[in-house]
Amino acid sequence: MNRTLTKPIADDLVRPLFQTSVWFYAIVFAAATVVACGGAAWGYQVWNGIGSAGIRWPVFWGFYLVNFVFWIGISHAGTLISAILRLVNAGWRRPVTRCAEAITVFALMIGAMFPIIHLGRPWLAFWLFPYPSAREIWPNFRSPLAWDFFAINTYLTGSVLFLFLPMIPDFALVRDRSTGWRRTLYGLLAFGWRGTTRQWNRLESAMQIMAVAILPVAVSVHTIVSFDFSMAAVPMWHSTIFGPYFVAGAIFSGIAALIIAMAVLRKTLGLEKYLLPLHFDNLGKLLLLMCILWAYFVFAERLTVWYGNEPSEMAVFWASQRGRFAPFYWTMVICNFVIPFVILTNYKTRTILGCVIASFGVLIGMWLERFLIIVPSLATKQLPYSWGSYAPQPVELTIMAATFAGMILLYALFSKFVPIIAIWELKAGLPSRLDPALQVETSLLSTRLDTEAFSSEAERADRGQP
Amino acid sequence: MDRRHFIKLTAITGTGAALTACGNPEHQLIRFIPEDDLVPGVATWKPTICPLCSAGCGVTARVMEGQAEVFRNGQPGVISMGLAKKLEGNPEDAISQGKLCARGQAAIQITYHPDRLANPRKRTGERGSGQFVDISWDEAIKELVGHLDALAAANSQASLALLTKPRRGRRLDLLAEWLRRFGAPAPVTFELFSDDVLRRANEISFGVAQLPTLDLEQAQYVVSFGADFLGAWNSPVAQSAAYGRMRQSRPGGRAKLVHADARLSQTAANADEFVAIKPGTEGVLALGLAHVIIANNLRPAAAAGRAGAAIDGWATGLTAFTPAAVEQRTGVAAARVERLAREFAAHPPAVALVAGPPLAQSNGLFTALAVNALNALAGSLNTPGGVSFVPQPRPAVATRDLSALLQEAAPKVLLIDDVNPVFASPASRQVAGALMRIPFIASFGSFVDETSALADLILPDHSFLESWVEAVPESGAAKAVPISAGPVMRPLYDTRPTIDVLLDVSRRLATPLAPALPNTFEEFLNREETAGVLRAGDSAPAGQAGAEAPALQYIAPQFDGDPTQFPYHFLPYASQALFDGSLAHLPWLQELPDPTTSAMWCSWIEINEHRAEELGIHQGDVIEVASAHGTVRAAAFLNPGLAPDAVAMPVGQGHTNFTRYATGIGVNPVAILAAAEVSGTTALAWSATRVKITRVGGPDDTLILFGGATRERPEETHGR
Amino acid sequence: MAYRWGMAVDIDKCTGCEACVTACHAENNIPTVGAGQASRGRAMHWIRVERYYEGSFPDVRLKFRPVLCQQCDNAPCEAVCPTYAAHQNEDGLNAQVYNRCIGTRYCANACTYNVRFFNFFNPEWPKPLHLQLNPDVSIREVGVMEKCTFCVQRIKAAKTEATAAQRELVDGALQPACAQACPTTAIIFGDLNDPESRVARLARSPRGTKLLEDLGAEPKITYLQKQPWHEPDAY
Repeated sequence: MNRTLTKPIADDLVRPLFQTSVWFYAIVFAAATVVACGGAAWGYQVWNGIGSAGIRWPVFWGFYLVNFVFWIGISHAGTLISAILRLVNAGWRRPVTRCAEAITVFALMIGAMFPIIHLGRPWLAFWLFPYPSAREIWPNFRSPLAWDFFAINTYLTGSVLFLFLPMIPDFALVRDRSTGWRRTLYGLLAFGWRGTTRQWNRLESAMQIMAVAILPVAVSVHTIVSFDFSMAAVPMWHSTIFGPYFVAGAIFSGIAALIIAMAVLRKTLGLEKYLLPLHFDNLGKLLLLMCILWAYFVFAERLTVWYGNEPSEMAVFWASQRGRFAPFYWTMVICNFVIPFVILTNYKTRTILGCVIASFGVLIGMWLERFLIIVPSLATKQLPYSWGSYAPQPVELTIMAATFAGMILLYALFSKFVPIIAIWELKAGLPSRLDPALQVETSLLSTRLDTEAFSSEAERADRGQP
Repeated sequence: MDRRHFIKLTAITGTGAALTACGNPEHQLIRFIPEDDLVPGVATWKPTICPLCSAGCGVTARVMEGQAEVFRNGQPGVISMGLAKKLEGNPEDAISQGKLCARGQAAIQITYHPDRLANPRKRTGERGSGQFVDISWDEAIKELVGHLDALAAANSQASLALLTKPRRGRRLDLLAEWLRRFGAPAPVTFELFSDDVLRRANEISFGVAQLPTLDLEQAQYVVSFGADFLGAWNSPVAQSAAYGRMRQSRPGGRAKLVHADARLSQTAANADEFVAIKPGTEGVLALGLAHVIIANNLRPAAAAGRAGAAIDGWATGLTAFTPAAVEQRTGVAAARVERLAREFAAHPPAVALVAGPPLAQSNGLFTALAVNALNALAGSLNTPGGVSFVPQPRPAVATRDLSALLQEAAPKVLLIDDVNPVFASPASRQVAGALMRIPFIASFGSFVDETSALADLILPDHSFLESWVEAVPESGAAKAVPISAGPVMRPLYDTRPTIDVLLDVSRRLATPLAPALPNTFEEFLNREETAGVLRAGDSAPAGQAGAEAPALQYIAPQFDGDPTQFPYHFLPYASQALFDGSLAHLPWLQELPDPTTSAMWCSWIEINEHRAEELGIHQGDVIEVASAHGTVRAAAFLNPGLAPDAVAMPVGQGHTNFTRYATGIGVNPVAILAAAEVSGTTALAWSATRVKITRVGGPDDTLILFGGATRERPEETHGR
Repeated sequence: MAYRWGMAVDIDKCTGCEACVTACHAENNIPTVGAGQASRGRAMHWIRVERYYEGSFPDVRLKFRPVLCQQCDNAPCEAVCPTYAAHQNEDGLNAQVYNRCIGTRYCANACTYNVRFFNFFNPEWPKPLHLQLNPDVSIREVGVMEKCTFCVQRIKAAKTEATAAQRELVDGALQPACAQACPTTAIIFGDLNDPESRVARLARSPRGTKLLEDLGAEPKITYLQKQPWHEPDAY
């Protein structure tokens, strides 16, 4: 085994697990504080009543459901991207997959909280579980909310497995390098991994199965989230385009979240050697693709509504196009299309910074998109007498801020306890694959990644080159 | 031994020992004595009468047993008693016909209002400071008797005044008799939206100082001059019931309703044709219709008789009221006047009615006489499908109006019986100041309001559900039957029926009133059924019927305020929910969306939507309305149905001291009115003030609308 | 034979007086929410009178239309409720089982008529206003959706009474609070399964329309449209 070649990689990537900077504590503390505020806000809401939020007649769904759809969308970052890239064997995916999969799991955990937070009687949320009870009724399987329950649970389970499986060899590696409580912890997490050929084969086939299985689950979960809306005869909700539209939007925002997460990790954990401009360039191209796809969906949706000229739909259409929601609508168009398109079509601006700016635009734009799907339609339903407005209240804003802080907190802790880049996968992608356990990967081609990643002087010295 | 006594006895023997340790055993025991006619969980219905307006709708109260916290002998306790649960129209009643309006439904909240006065109070702080201390009934009555005795001792019985609501049937008769026997002048009555102008006009035209009953049910053509007969005017339930039959569910087709007004009121909204007209010119339109009818020989001129004689120029065919002249004055196109007149004449029975804003102009009496003459011309007096006057059992008692209290020779003792003139009078009349000069004021209302806050003594009345009630409907049915009803439920608090308190006082005076009045109102009502306690003629009849007034010439409406400085007509109107503000304390009515705007819990200023656009005023912006007598600020409501040269405001909000539900909400448009009178009467011309408006700022979120868009298709679709 | 309760609302008779609104509050223990909450869109009116202006001054019209739960045969609110709180009962009413409701508010979004109202807070009746509450109707707690029931408590009581007396219900004897209060008798309630009932006859009226009929919810309320006035001899 070429220990001299792979050892620095492991050193670099395991280092954050053993060394803790003051910044880490500062970030964790700050994020935890905001999360605690969010918890308190939710407690306040449960104690006083859901009326503490800004929802009202007739806009019965507000920021909570916007955030629900937003975070479920973010969750498509990972699993979907990583599964696709894994299946098509894109070599450059290697440093990216775990970042992405972690986003998926955390975003799902956060997103799945919102349907419970938004309930009028959250203490009865367990009535959505199909279990034999004294009430002698099962959940109503005709309700898209029951579908949501199953879809999200399936996706969460699958994503956790998909994240966890490739972590096992890395846990074993950390176990072997650590002492004390860490050795016990990682020993447990490594599930007795010894790196035998049999184990590698099992892992590889499990990953292949998971990658194939998670794709339809990921597509279905956001389709089902879109069904929450498109199943109701609400103007501009009742649309066949919603399934693919939501999936495209989800991947779009997921990639943006991934780019931002990678850029942050690159800076904070000193991963400049591993997360290269190439990765950002490739993800930027993917983001551009989704940007164009998203714009196409919006165009298709808006054109059909406008051409159809159905009065109740036109009321919603104009409310966002030039009415009271127009400022949000046009901000969305700028953030979701104009900014990313301009930045990402030009290879000179498709730098790390450029990609990050575009990604921030996309996150803002996609959040607004979810707002513009939910609120204007509810505020402008068929009977104009029942039209209303909506303004978020402090509890909603606090809980929303807490979810973003929660994401930072979970991510910071994750990167503290787990190597954020899959060490063994990175090693597997190296040009000289001498480890017999990695023979399965023989078809991998050497990429620019591999040459650039180890072109520093130290690396060259390691390899015995001049 | 009957069931009641058996239970009482077992309750006493069974629990007496246990309760002696609990204190107040006697009122704790009350809970064990059920009401004979109540089975727990089973409802019974008891008749009563809606007290809110003078329509006098007979209602039934749904009574069920419940646990109530009550006051007995000054002590609180819980008892099981029959509780009114809901008010419904009494199907046996000629006025309500089993129906009830929104206000009547909400009357039950008066009884259960959390801020209702539970016991007598005596003022401790400065007048108007709202500082009172609870006292017992003995002390309260002693105090009142003391002041009355002092008046009698000084031989100035004439310095006693009683302020009450007008037209309250035999109750008012008894109050007037009480005053007469004491030696005091006639009761003072006050009502903001009084119909005194119309009564006066009917007296001149028809010899009856009374509101008309409209036979809408059989009418084929109805022209309403500003009369909000489906909203808050006269007997709305009876009129609405007839309107329903006029529209559908009668043979002979559907009648036409034409409504002339400067504002699209709730009634106007139901009209088949809305005639926008300049304020104060409604009488001109009526005479214009009459002119066309006379000129085209569609009806004999003689048909007008006495009513026409009251109009100057009638005998010569109203030559001054040609359609062209009418168009010039009213703004209604001449051709339309012509067509309306021909339709009116061609569809008998046709009837015209007038009330509300047209009669609150300086020339209101003329307008009313003109409409009366039109009715007479169409031959719709005392005919099916026309107007008629319900024979009254006895002439109305003589009353005085509020100015009696505002003069220099103010009374020394004032008794206020649940009226609130401080709120419902223009600030320029300075009613509060006048009341402050009165040495002693006793108030009998159930609530502290702007007027009773100035009282020295408050002797709270029973609610209507707890006392004997009666009504003598003035209008609304073909035959007026005086009705009375006993209490629906036992009292909740340590209150007493006002009239019984006064009867009690009459016996406790140093020289009791003689001859003695009945002991209680109940006794009075029951005795009167057979014998008649007050002989007819005891009370002087109102006004002098029969005396012919000289024919009235057309007079142009006079408005308070220079048109160049104050370019807008100010049109306050009775709120459909809060009426004249006396119902602003009922939460159901506060939260009832206004029919034409859907506003709740607020004041608003209506302004024509296109004029608002010109002025840069948007929905909900705060605007200031200024008359020569004051200003009010409220949120703007852009109304498509209001004349561009007018602003309108509902009356009812703007209370400064009227329970938790009304205090501090909105503004009072009455305050800025000019204290002008309708010429020929003493009624307030509440629609004759001119104002200017200024935009003060953006929305302050006080405009609370239940409904969203005001139009069914607000956003245009595009053409192809 | 099963009942199928329905209603006919005669727009030509409705004057917009809102007697029905207060009657409904009184019968069904609907709380008032106060100015602060009302301004935040939390006012509850199971029946409301919609007002729509047409044209502009002086050629202006104002239409009234009472809107309450349409008790749809094919109700969009029922399918989306995950806990069967909204379901169709044996009389064809869209029942709302308050105890099953967990407050997803999905039914209110799915309802195209916006006639569902939500308890954003626990209702309050400052003493002694609570003494007015109708003991036949349950109080709804925070987080629960509620709506017009066609006064199901009156229906149940009348059915029980009729069963006990071994007779059929008489058409018109049973009325919800709104119909009972309506001064112009614009609201007619009855059994649509009885072809001779007043409501069934009105449902066949040429003036009859359904609200948002094209959406296919099959509402059980027939709106009888306003009739324009015409010269009687124009026939």
